[in-house]
Amino acid sequence: MASLQGYVDRRVLLVLQDGRVIVGTLVGFDQKSNVVLSESKERVYSMEEGVEEIPLGLYLVKGDMIVLIGEIDDAIDEAVDLATIHAEPILPIRY
Amino acid sequence: MDPSTTGIQEPFDLIRLSLSERVFVKLRGDRELTGILHAYDGHMNLILSDVEETIMMVDPVDENFEGQGTVKVAKRKMEMLFVRGDGVILVSPPSRT
Amino acid sequence: MLIFSVFKTLTDQRVTVELKNDLSISGVLKSVDQFLNIRLDSIKVLDETRHPHMMAVKNCFIRGSVVRYVQLPAEHVDTQLLEDATRREAANQTRR
Repeated sequence: MASLQGYVDRRVLLVLQDGRVIVGTLVGFDQKSNVVLSESKERVYSMEEGVEEIPLGLYLVKGDMIVLIGEIDDAIDEAVDLATIHAEPILPIRY
Repeated sequence: MDPSTTGIQEPFDLIRLSLSERVFVKLRGDRELTGILHAYDGHMNLILSDVEETIMMVDPVDENFEGQGTVKVAKRKMEMLFVRGDGVILVSPPSRT
Repeated sequence: MLIFSVFKTLTDQRVTVELKNDLSISGVLKSVDQFLNIRLDSIKVLDETRHPHMMAVKNCFIRGSVVRYVQLPAEHVDTQLLEDATRREAANQTRR
């Protein structure tokens, strides 16, 4: 089973179907890969400005909306100055 | 054709008889593949080898010219590929010509 | 079930997963489930300058439903075995 068990209490990055990127601490999940994050923030990417972080707090994401869940390497993440990163947003999923 | 001689009674039989042959696959998102078919299942998930993918992109600048948009074609090759069935529109057996 | 089994035999091999949002991620296949959800280790996003979003991510869980393709290591795929297994499964389907 490609389970999310190993990600509990870890800092994770979610990519959603609409292209949004959300980071937070994974506090729980279920069979349908519905996910609860604490201290979560959306990272908004654009070419014009650096990455903007919008606090979302405790957040529930429906499994259907999730593209990918990645475990964040905190050392690498903290070494990156998000304000200097300019990038196109991730494209939405197209079936 | 008589089904008893071709062995084709239902759609999936056509795909079964194409195993280990080169097939043409049309996909969502204006993509096409040709490749040698090695496996499939009821979702039309496929495993192909020696794959060539063709992606058609219409240049958005020309789109207003009543369908006269220039179509850009990108091609790439892949050695062994799993294709998820939900993107498959059609699978066509090799031409017998 | 057949495709699920194929992926299981490819555990610990490096694959490239292409998603329906045009992201391509290569990584070592760690596990797969019946929905073809995939766990990858030591991941690398192709074209990282255009996609810096996952710079700090080293392993990930990908939902099966968002996968377009998975490029497989050809040398670890026994095509004859695959075709035999596919014919067997097709025969079981019609006999049911």
